[in-house]
Parts: sequence; C-alpha cells; structure tokens
Amino acid sequence: MARTASIAVLACLGAAAASNTQTAGPAHHGAPGQDGQWLMPAGDYAATRYSRLADITPQNAKSLHPVWSFSTGVLGGHEGQPLVVGDTMYVVTPWPNVLYAFDLGREGYPLRWKYRPEVSANALGVACCDAVNRGVFYADGKLVYNLLDGHTVAVDARSGRELWKTRIAELGNGETATMAPLVVGERVIVGAAGGEFGIFGWIKALDLKSGATVWTARNLGPDTEMRVRSDTFQPPYDQGAELGTRSWGNDSWRTGGAPVWGWISYDPELDLIYYGTGNPSPYNPEQRPGDNKWSASLLARRPADGTLVWAYQFTPHDSWDYDATGAMVLADLTIGGQLVKALVHFDKNGFAYTLDRATGRVLLAKAFTPVTWARSVDLATGRPVLEPSKQTGVSRGNVKDICPSLEGGVSPASPPAYSPRTHLFYTSTSNLCMSYATSRANYLKGTPFVGVDSPYNAGPGGGYLGSFIAWDAARGAVVWENKEPYPNWSGALVTAGDVAFYGTLDGWFKSVDARSGKVLSKFKVGSGVVGNPITYRAPDGRQYVAVYAGFGGDWALLSGDTRADDPADVRAPADFLKDIARHTSQGGIVWIFGL
Amino acid sequence: MDLRAVRGAALAHAAAAAGVAGAAVLACTHQGAPPSPPAAAPPPAVRYESHLAAGGVVPAGALLRNPHPGDAATARSGALLFTAMNCDGCHGAQGIGWVGPNLADGRWRYGATDGEIFSSIYYGRPRGMPAFGGVLGTEGVWTLVTYLRSLPVPAGVATESWESR
Repeated sequence: MARTASIAVLACLGAAAASNTQTAGPAHHGAPGQDGQWLMPAGDYAATRYSRLADITPQNAKSLHPVWSFSTGVLGGHEGQPLVVGDTMYVVTPWPNVLYAFDLGREGYPLRWKYRPEVSANALGVACCDAVNRGVFYADGKLVYNLLDGHTVAVDARSGRELWKTRIAELGNGETATMAPLVVGERVIVGAAGGEFGIFGWIKALDLKSGATVWTARNLGPDTEMRVRSDTFQPPYDQGAELGTRSWGNDSWRTGGAPVWGWISYDPELDLIYYGTGNPSPYNPEQRPGDNKWSASLLARRPADGTLVWAYQFTPHDSWDYDATGAMVLADLTIGGQLVKALVHFDKNGFAYTLDRATGRVLLAKAFTPVTWARSVDLATGRPVLEPSKQTGVSRGNVKDICPSLEGGVSPASPPAYSPRTHLFYTSTSNLCMSYATSRANYLKGTPFVGVDSPYNAGPGGGYLGSFIAWDAARGAVVWENKEPYPNWSGALVTAGDVAFYGTLDGWFKSVDARSGKVLSKFKVGSGVVGNPITYRAPDGRQYVAVYAGFGGDWALLSGDTRADDPADVRAPADFLKDIARHTSQGGIVWIFGL
Repeated sequence: MDLRAVRGAALAHAAAAAGVAGAAVLACTHQGAPPSPPAAAPPPAVRYESHLAAGGVVPAGALLRNPHPGDAATARSGALLFTAMNCDGCHGAQGIGWVGPNLADGRWRYGATDGEIFSSIYYGRPRGMPAFGGVLGTEGVWTLVTYLRSLPVPAGVATESWESR
C-alpha cells in the first residue's frame, strides 16, 4: 500500500473512532507536512466529511467571508468538491472535465497547471442528468478521476502530466462516468452511470500504476459475472444461487441498469468496500417482474478481487426510481448501550438506514422525510412494508401523491457528514412528491430506456421544498431541521469546531451551529450550490472552507428557465420551481472562505 | 429524471403489436423494410441555417423537400415514432425539452427548414444527438420532421418578468 493511502487509512480510523491524534499528510511542493488536507472526495475512507480542524467555531463563524473566487469557465452542475494536497488545491469541472491546480502558497492562488483532456461531446447526450463530475481522488502522487465519456485518467499531481488513460465505459451502450473513484492500495475502483439507458451495471478495479483493468463485477446477472461464490457470499436476508438472474422476469437483467454513479467507502479492518447501485431499468416495473437484485442495493466487496461478500436491497422491485447511490457513511455508534460498527445511509426512498456493516443486517430504518410508498421497514426481513395504493406500473395508470419524488428524500449526489463529537449526521433533504404514470419502454441501444411521466409537486408541511437536518442514527430521529425554500442539493461538512456547512439551490452558502442548526453566517455565491464543502489548513496556517457554486446536476433543475446559454432553447419555468430563476442561473465558481 | 412522456394507448398498441422498436417504427411509418440510404433520394449534405454559403451557392442538401408537409396523418404517425424511438427520453414529451433542447419553441440550433431538421435527425448532431437515419430511414425521418413541424409554438417566452407575479 502506498504511503499516502496508509495515511488516509489512519485518518479514516481516527474519524470513525474519534480517538486518534491528528495525522500528518504527505509533503507536497516542499510544503511541510501538515494536517488539514482533503485527499479524497469524502475526506476519509469512512465517508464522514468530518474535519478535525477547529479554528472556526460558533463564536467566530459570523466573520467568515470570501477570500478568493475563480470561474471554472464551465457552466453546469458543479457537484463534487476540491481536494487540497499540501499547498495545492485541485478542482475538476463538469464536462469537459478540466483539472486545475492552484498554488495556495502565492497571493491570488495562481495556477500551477491546467489539464485539458479530450472528452467526447457525444457524452452530453448520454449523460441522463447534466454533465457532472463528482470528484478526484489523490493517491501515491496521482490524481485519479473519471471523464464523462467513459474514461478514467491518472494525472501526476506535481506536473499535471497525464500518466494513463483507460476506457472503462461505452457511450454507445448508454454508459457515462460521473462518479468519484476510490483508491484502495493499488486498486482504483470505478463505475458507470446509465440507469436511464438500460445498461448492464458494473463496478471495476484498475491498477493504480498502469490503469490496466484488474477485475470487473456486474451488479446483476449470473453469479459468475457478479463475482459471487456460494461459499463466501452471505447476504443477510436472501438465500440461494443466481439471485441476479432469478429475481428478474423475462431475462430483463440484460438491460436492467443498476449503475454506479455515487460514492464508495472502505473499512480497512473488515477490508470491505461499500457502494450503492442505482435504479433498475426501465422505470416501468411491469417489464421486469421480481425483486431485481442487486439494483437499488448496497453491496460489500473485497477490493482485491471484487468478491461479493454481502448485499442488501433497500428497495426491492423499485417502482419509483429510488437509486441507492447515496453515500454509505461508516461510523461506530452506541445503539441500545452497545458499540456497533455501523453504516448509515440516507436513501432516495426517504428512509435513513443504520446497518451492521460487517453483516448487512438492518438495525434501524426510519423516515427522514415524508414517505408514502411504504409504511415502514420490517427489521426481521429487511423489506419495506409497502403501501398498496402507491405501487406503479402500466396497469396501475397514473399513481398520485408518491413521496418522496424520484429526486429522492435527498439527492444521492448530496452526501451527508458525520461528527464523532456530536454523534449526529448532517444531510440535505428534498421535500417533493410526484405522480407516476408509466408506459411500456422500448429498448434501443444508446437511447433512453425509461417509460414514465412523473411531474413533481411540493411535499407536505407547507411552503418549503427542502431542508438541512441533523439526524441521530442511533435513534432514527431528526434532532434539528433548517427548512429551505427549495430542494437542498449540496453535500454537508462538519468540523471539530462544531460548525456545519452547506449551500442552497438559490445560491446561499451557510455555516450553522452543529448542535442547534443556528445560522452563523451566509453569503450569496452567485449560483446555486450542488457541490460539497470541504475545509483545510492553508500554508499560512489558517483554516479555510471551499465550495463550488454551479447550479445544475439534474435536468429537473435545468428543465425550465434557469439557463441562458442557448438562444435556440428557451423554456417556461419548471412547474414545481416557479421562481428559482429569479434567484439563480447556471454558473461555475470556486469559492474560498476564511475568518 | 422527470420525463414528460405522455405515451398513450396508441403507443402501447404499437409496442404490443411489434414488440421491438424497429418493428414499431415500421408499423408507424408504413414502410416495408428499414432502408439503406435510398438511391433515389441521396442523403443530404449537412447545412446549418446560420452558415454562410461560400460564393452564395447553397449546397444541395438545402434542396431536400419534405414529401408530407403539413400532413396531419403523417404528423400523428410521427408522434408515435417520437415516443417509440425514445426521442422523448431526451427532448421531453411533445418535445418541450429535457437533456436535449426544446423542439417546440420555434428555435433551432441547426436550421429551421424541413431539410435542415431532416439532417439533424438523419445524421445526428454534435453534443449528443444520435444519428437515427440508420434505423429510421428517410421516410421515418420525414415522418418525424412532419410531426415536429406540427407542434404548437408558445408565444411570449422571450421575456420573463417576476414583477407581475
């Protein structure tokens, strides 16, 4: 294992156990080793988005102000987050996936270099939901990330020189690459989006040094292709062989989706990677009878060879486009007086799950946002208790008042944070419901394979479409909630100063007291925020917070009047976001805030 | 992904009868077999309305003529094709726009004549529009063109005011 990865492992363990002393990061460009870097998308392998930096506190956060900004030159949903390695900040843009390296040691943070890969514009017609990129991973002196047209690249962190470029996905099959890779030792773990195109979903590992493909594992289909072995595969609630084909009527697994477009976390002690799969294809569930394993599921694999160790399906026979691609946060929680190695996941389906991350058994599942499609989750079987009137399909016509909408109780693109100090999780939410009228979808390779009309409406509660909440995953309860006028789409950050950070769709960036939710500071950042804040200690020794502004990331957001870049494409306001264009439009700006 | 895919009983009928997209196309377009580019009607040259023609000489593609201009029955077939070929998956139901641009706003990136719209569908365009000529043939593409030209164009989208709300 490379030195940097080892350090990251330590950081992960420290965050999970909240007991380690601060660890030093790698020196870079001659800068002294220092804590407070941000080396991977979620900050650590446990995906906590927690920083032990504590300079910014509820007492002084009111003086947070922007100290720097930079236009990426690209419009579109700026999901993901910058990295800070030593004295350099790295930023990757939406398509065409330009990678910038800023020198944090000089006034104005001038560029060290800028890498401009060749990325096919055809990918813009295959990416279902805006041409996003969810981030770069730093390991062993390399920056590893995905290009929208289905390539993974490794770039030398010092020089910006491309080290290797590997084709991982096929545009012609409806695959694009938007997710953030995870590097474990010598393995680069990557996946592809395409749940709206009937792809045959997979995850694969590349060699960090060469980019060569080491293993590929399907998320559905025959056991051999899923890397399932009967002697080592132990799903907590299922038995038998060939679940990945037997749970799909009409051989529908061949075009069954189950993409990988979110996040991957890793437990070095259990040696398991955790990731969620997206929706089954098509949206009309009657074309794919059965549970459709392992779509809308959580999978735990060995990083070395991809062996599937266990899997749990949040939404069997998904009939609402409830992808499970949101982050899997690893935390050791005290539940009922016992310390549990837990995994916490806020699903699109509106339930927050607390699982035993060694076995996949569900310990607790409670709604964190209004839910009508199911009444509860049965902990004995792991299955949702369905609400019969909210099941969908061509034979059921137009089914109304389904909550959450298919945008999710939270967008999987908006990862939560966990503080081992407050023992709370922090996440954005969307308070939208929908109608769902399905129709038979025709598979035509490389074109959309969907079959639904699903207009949204405001959820219950009156006048708010989203929020930012603190969640107690040991009890399954909201501790506090900041309601927002629009669906909240940013990721979360929380620090040892007990300050949490998030952005809003109408373009505010806020710091709040992690224990009460009280807003400590806010600033209008020029475009809606769908990115994830990070924090770091700069060469000047001070703590800063960085975030992208850049509205988009989903065509539900861009479908109306929020764009200004194409005179040949003019649309009326989206009916569920009538006034959003009054407050924001597309952009692409990196912001840094300091005291 | 919110797709305003209003796909009615007609499509269900076409799909049930045909089973696969290619066959559904045939059912909708009254064609015998998916044509290779026919000799009688050579594929048009790509031409954008906004392009200036060197020497003032317009390439031959612009001379393409829609065999069904304004024909209501053809437009209805085109509406079925629009869903059967998953056009609505990118352009939204009735072409009002999704990841692909609005086709019902009276504005066209690559030219507004029937021949130019034909070229966009037949050959595809940069930034993700696939070439559908291979599966649709010339007759299928003209059927779609006739449908798109039949869509009502909303008035008053150029100015949006919040003062009056």
